[in-house]
Amino acid sequence: MATNVATAPLRARRSVGSYVMPVLASLLLVALFLWLIVNFVKGPAYFTNIAFIGLTNGAVYALVALGYTLVYGILELINFAHGDVFMLGALISASMMITNFGVTTGSSTGFLVIAIIGSLIVTMLACGLINATIEFVAYRPLRGAPRLAPLITAIGVSFILEDVAIGWKQTGYTAVPNVLPRGNVFSAGGVSYTWEKLIVVLITVPVLIALVYLVQRTRQGKAMRATAQDRDAAAMMGINVNRTISFTFLIAGALAGAGGLVYALYFGQVRYDTGYQLGLIAFTAAVLGGIGNLPGAVLGSLCIGFVQAFTDGLRWHSPGSDWTLSIVFSILILILVFRPEGLLGERTPEGG
Amino acid sequence: MKKKVSLLAFVGAIAVVAALFAGYSGTAKSASTVNALPSSSCGPIVYKGPGKPTFIIASDLPLQGAIRKQTVQISRAMIWALQQKGWKAGSATIGYQSCDDSTAQSGGWDSAKCATNARLYATNTSVMAVVGTFNSGCAKIEVPILNRAHPGPVLMVSPANTNPGITKKWDPGEPQKYYPTGTRNYARVVATDDVQGPADALWSQAQHWTKVFVLNDKQTYGFGVAKTYQAAAKKLGIKVVGFQGWDAKASSYEALANAIKASGAQAVFLGGIACNNGAKLMQDIKSVNPGIHLQMPDGFSDPNANGAVANGAYISVAGQPPKSLTGFGATFVKSFGKSIGATPNPYAAYGAQAMLVALQAVASRPGDRARITRTVFGLHVTGGVLGNFTIGAGGDTDALAITIYKQSGKNLIPVKTLTPSPSLIG
Amino acid sequence: MKRRISRAWWVGLGAVGLTPARWAALTPVTRRAIKTFVWLAILLILIALFGVWKIAALALAAVIALLVVPAWNRIPFGKYVVPLAILAIAIAYPYYNTHMPQLPIFGPFPQISTMVVMMIFTMMALGLNFVVGYAGLLDLGYVAFYAMGAYMAGWFASNQFANQHLNFGAVGLYQGWSGYHISIWLLLPMAGIATAIIGVLIGLPTLRLRGDYLAIVTLGFGEIIPQVANNGDNLFGTGFNLTNGTGGITPIDGPGFGNWADKHLHLPANYLNAQNFDSLYFWTAIVLVLITIFCSARLRDSRLGRAWIAIREDETAASAMGIPLMRTKTWAYATGAFFGGVAGAYYASYKSGAFPDDFFFNISVFILCMVILGGMGNIWGVIFGACFLAYLDREGLANVGAWFSNHTHRTIDVPKYEFGIFGLILVITMLFRPEGLIPSQRRAAELHEGVHDEPLYDTEHAGA
Repeated sequence: MATNVATAPLRARRSVGSYVMPVLASLLLVALFLWLIVNFVKGPAYFTNIAFIGLTNGAVYALVALGYTLVYGILELINFAHGDVFMLGALISASMMITNFGVTTGSSTGFLVIAIIGSLIVTMLACGLINATIEFVAYRPLRGAPRLAPLITAIGVSFILEDVAIGWKQTGYTAVPNVLPRGNVFSAGGVSYTWEKLIVVLITVPVLIALVYLVQRTRQGKAMRATAQDRDAAAMMGINVNRTISFTFLIAGALAGAGGLVYALYFGQVRYDTGYQLGLIAFTAAVLGGIGNLPGAVLGSLCIGFVQAFTDGLRWHSPGSDWTLSIVFSILILILVFRPEGLLGERTPEGG
Repeated sequence: MKKKVSLLAFVGAIAVVAALFAGYSGTAKSASTVNALPSSSCGPIVYKGPGKPTFIIASDLPLQGAIRKQTVQISRAMIWALQQKGWKAGSATIGYQSCDDSTAQSGGWDSAKCATNARLYATNTSVMAVVGTFNSGCAKIEVPILNRAHPGPVLMVSPANTNPGITKKWDPGEPQKYYPTGTRNYARVVATDDVQGPADALWSQAQHWTKVFVLNDKQTYGFGVAKTYQAAAKKLGIKVVGFQGWDAKASSYEALANAIKASGAQAVFLGGIACNNGAKLMQDIKSVNPGIHLQMPDGFSDPNANGAVANGAYISVAGQPPKSLTGFGATFVKSFGKSIGATPNPYAAYGAQAMLVALQAVASRPGDRARITRTVFGLHVTGGVLGNFTIGAGGDTDALAITIYKQSGKNLIPVKTLTPSPSLIG
Repeated sequence: MKRRISRAWWVGLGAVGLTPARWAALTPVTRRAIKTFVWLAILLILIALFGVWKIAALALAAVIALLVVPAWNRIPFGKYVVPLAILAIAIAYPYYNTHMPQLPIFGPFPQISTMVVMMIFTMMALGLNFVVGYAGLLDLGYVAFYAMGAYMAGWFASNQFANQHLNFGAVGLYQGWSGYHISIWLLLPMAGIATAIIGVLIGLPTLRLRGDYLAIVTLGFGEIIPQVANNGDNLFGTGFNLTNGTGGITPIDGPGFGNWADKHLHLPANYLNAQNFDSLYFWTAIVLVLITIFCSARLRDSRLGRAWIAIREDETAASAMGIPLMRTKTWAYATGAFFGGVAGAYYASYKSGAFPDDFFFNISVFILCMVILGGMGNIWGVIFGACFLAYLDREGLANVGAWFSNHTHRTIDVPKYEFGIFGLILVITMLFRPEGLIPSQRRAAELHEGVHDEPLYDTEHAGA
C-alpha cells in the first residue's frame, strides 16, 4: 500500500474553482478599461485634465507610501503613525512658510523658491527626527514581542501625534496661502497643465531620485537592504542593526516631511486628522504596489491617485466622490486577500 | 501581640475620627433652589436679577469650531433679551445656561452630544424651555426626547433651524415621528428652507442666470435647501445643470470644479454650511472657474468662515436685515451692538427673539411644562425684535421675508428682501 | 515605585511594633484586615481633604472591608458571596448614587446615564475580548459590528421604511406610525445573529491573513461601513433610502413590557415614557452584561475556548493537534460580532437613534484600549477597563479638566485630548505591562516569554 502511494504519479489537477478568481479579476479589469475609454472618448481634454490631477495626487501619495514601504521592508511593521508624521510635516512647513518666512500671495518667485527649499530642509529634518525618536521610544523595546504589540503601540502613537497637533494648532484648518502660481505651463485644445502641478512633480522627483541613490549606491543603503533581507545575517556581517533601523526611520520621516510640504502647498489646508485618511490611502498604495518594494510604492501611488481622480471627476457613470474612500479601501481589502504581494510582488526593498 | 493590635485599632480609630472632622469642616454645598445642568455640557447659571433663579432656560448651540463666533454672539443676544425682561417670566425668576451640542473632535454639532443634552433637559425639572438648536439635524434628535419628558414636554424654540421636516410634512413620517406623545413642543422664529430655496431661486432669476450647478453638503439642512432651490429654479425656468454632493472631508475639489466648468454653469448654488469645508470648496471652484457666480443660503452667513474668496457672492438669510429693523428691533441693534462693539450678525436678532418667545410662553404658567408648551402655538408677538408676527399651530412663524446679502470683506451688505409667493413654496 | 511603597509599608509596620517575623505570625485574615484598613483610611482621608465628604464614604469603606477581609471561600457557597454582593451593589446604584461622596480630582460618581453607557461598552469590550483576548486576532474594525447592530435596530424598530406596516410586539407606538416595529427583546438577539452572520462573511476571506494584514483589512471594513451608512440614503442612485444618510435613523423605539404587564405586574410599559428610564435601561444593561459574562466564562473553559488559546499561542502546533484553524477563528469572530451587534442595537435604542457619526475608527481603538488596559483575555480585567475608560470618556475627563482649571491658572480642555490620552495609555501599557492591569496568567506568560505566532498559512508566499 505504502509503495503504491509513493510511486503513484503525482498529477496536479487544477480545479475549476481556481480559475474563477483570475477570470473575475480579468473581467473586472476589462470593465474598468472600457469605462475609462468611454469617458476618454466623451471628452478627451477633460479626461486628460483629470488624469493630470491624478498624477499630481499620486506624486504626493508616493512620498508617504515610500515611507511605509521602507519601514515595512526593514521591520515588517505597519507604522500607523506614519500618516500623522506626514501631517505634522505639513503643519511644520505651513508654519515655517507663514510665520518664519512670511510668504504671501504677492511674494516674488526668488523669495518663494528660497522659502520652499528652506522649509523643505527644516521639515524633512524635523520629521526625520520625530520618526526616529518614535522608533527609539516605542518600537525598539518591543522588538522581541509578538508582532501585534508594536502594531498596537503604533496606533497609540498615532493618536498621541494627532493630539499634539490639536494642542499646537487646535482643531480648525491651518490654511496656507496660495503661493504656487496657478497659470498654465501649457494649454492645448482644452488640456491645461498648471504650474502648481508641475512644481509638485519638480519637488517630488528629485527627492525620489535622491532616495534611489541612497538605497542603491551608498553603504547605508546597502546596510538597509541587507537588514531588510535577513536581520540576523546582517548583524553577523557586522552591520549595526539598531543604527540601520534608526536610519531607515529617519529617511522615512524625511520623506513624510517632504510629502507634508508638498501637500500644504498644493492642497492649501491641513488639519489634525488629515494624516489619518491620507496615511491609509498611501498605505493602500504601498500594498497595491507590493509592500517592501520601492518602485512598487511609486506605481501603487500613481494608480491610487488616478483611481481617486477618476472616481471624483469623470462624469459618465462615475460613482462620485461619495464612494471614493470605499473604493480605495475595497482595493486594499481585495489586494490583501487575493494578491498580498501586490502588483510588483517583491518583498525586499530592492532599489528602483 | 494583643497590645500591638489594640494600638493599631486605636490609631485606626483616630484616623477615622480625623477624617470625619476634616470632612465636616470641608465646604458644604449650598442648597440652591434650581438644579444646574452639569458642566460637562453647559456653562454656569447666568442670573443677574434679584434673589435667586427659580427656573432655567437653557440654550443649545454648537459652541466649538468655525461657527463659534456666531453662536457665542447668539448666546449673548439671548442674555441681552433676558436682561431686558428683568430676568423674569411672569412672576418667576429665570436663570440661563448656555449648553454646547458640539464636540472638539467634530468641530461642529455631534449627534451623541445632542441626544445627551436633550436627556439632561428632559430629566432636569428646573428646565422650563430650551432655546435652540442651531442645526436642524440636532433638533431632529432632541425634539422627540424633549417630547417624551416628565412631568411634561419641554418647549423648544429655535432661532435658526430651517429644515421644514420638523414642523411640516417633508420626508416620509415627518413631522409626526418627532412628536411621539402626539402633542407638539417645538416652535421656531425663522422661515424654513422651503421658503429660503425659492427666494434664492427668485434672486437667481433676477440675475438672469440660466444655468446653475447645485451642490449640497449631504446633511439635513444643506440637502433640504438645495432640493427646494432646485424645485423652485425649475419652475422659474432656470436650468439646473448638475446636482451633486460634496464631501466635507475631501482635501481637494478640483475634479468637482472641473465638472462644473464642463457643465457650462454661470453660477453655483452651495446648499450647506460653511464649516463643512465650504471655504476650500469655494476656493477650488473659483480657481478653475474664475468668472463664476456663487450663491449660498444662510449656512454661509459668517463672512469670517467664508473667507475672501466669497467676496461678491450672494448669501440669503431669513428675515429682515438688522439695519432695517424698527422699534424694539432697532433698539436691539443699537444696544446689543454697542455691548459687543460691532453690528450684530443676523442670527443674533433671532436668538434674542427666540428667548423672548420662550419667556412669553413660560410666563403663562411658570413651572407647568405642558401648559408652557401649549401656549406657544398661536402666540402673537407684538413689538418683538423681529417686529410683529404669530407662531402658527404647527410652530412656524408667519414672517416669511428672506433677505439677499452680498459679502464684502467681513460684512454682509443687504441687497434685497424677498417674500416668495405660495405657489413657489412647497 | 512598587519597592518604595513596600518599603514605606514595612517602615510603618515597624513603627507599631510589627516586625516581619511578627507579621508572618499573624493569621492571613488579620494581615488582610490590616492592609485593607490602612488603604481605606488613606482613601477616606483623601476624600475628606480633597473631595466632598458624605457619610456614605464610611458606608462604602465598611462594605469594601466586609467584602475583602473575611475568607469567604471557606464557608459553603462562599465563593458566590463577593460576586453577588457586587451585583447587589450595582443594581442598587440608582438609589444611592446621589448620596455618594465626591472623589478628589474625579469628582462625583457617574450619573446613571453614564453607567448605562459603561455597561454597554462593557458588553462590547467583552465581545472584542473573544477576538483579541481569547483568539489573539487583532480586530481594528469592531465598530462595524456595533454599527450593524445599531442600524438593525434602526431598520426594525423605527419608521425608517415608512411604506411598510408591521408591529410585532413593539411598545410605545404613537398614532400614525409606520415602518417595521419589532419588540426590542426580539430585536436584540436578531441583531446579534445578523451581525454574527456579517462577521462570518467578513471573516471568511480575511481570516486567512496573518496578524498585521488582518488588522488592516478589518480597519478597511471599519472604514467602508460608515461610508455606506453616510451614503445610504440614495444607494447607487436608486433612491432607496437604507440608512437615511448623515441624519441617521431617529427616533428608535424603546423596550418595554406592554400595558398588560404594567397594570398587573407593575413592569414598565415603555422604557422611554417611564420616569426613571435611565435606571430601567441600566438594570436591563446589567442583565445583558451578566449574560455576556456567563457566555464568556463558559466558552473560555470549553473546547472551543481552549482551541482559541491554542491558536493564539502557536498556530502550527494547534493545527498539528487537529484544530481546524479557519473554523475556530471564524467562530471567535462570529461570537465577538454577536455581542457587538447586541450591544449596538441596545445602545441605539437607548440613544433613540443610529447615526453614522458613531462609527468612526476611533471607537474601535477605544474598545481595543479597554481590552488591552484591563487585561486581554481576563473577564474581570476587561470589565474594569471598559467601565473605567467609558467613564473617562463620558464624564471623567470633563471632571478632570474642571478640577485642573479650578486649581491651576490654565484652562486645558481635557476632553479635547481624549484620544491622545487613550493613545498614551495604549503605548504605556504595551511597553510596560502588555498583559493589562488584571491579567490572565497565561497571557502574561505569553507576552513576556514570547510565542511562536507565525501563522501556518503565510499567504504572502502563497502565490510565489
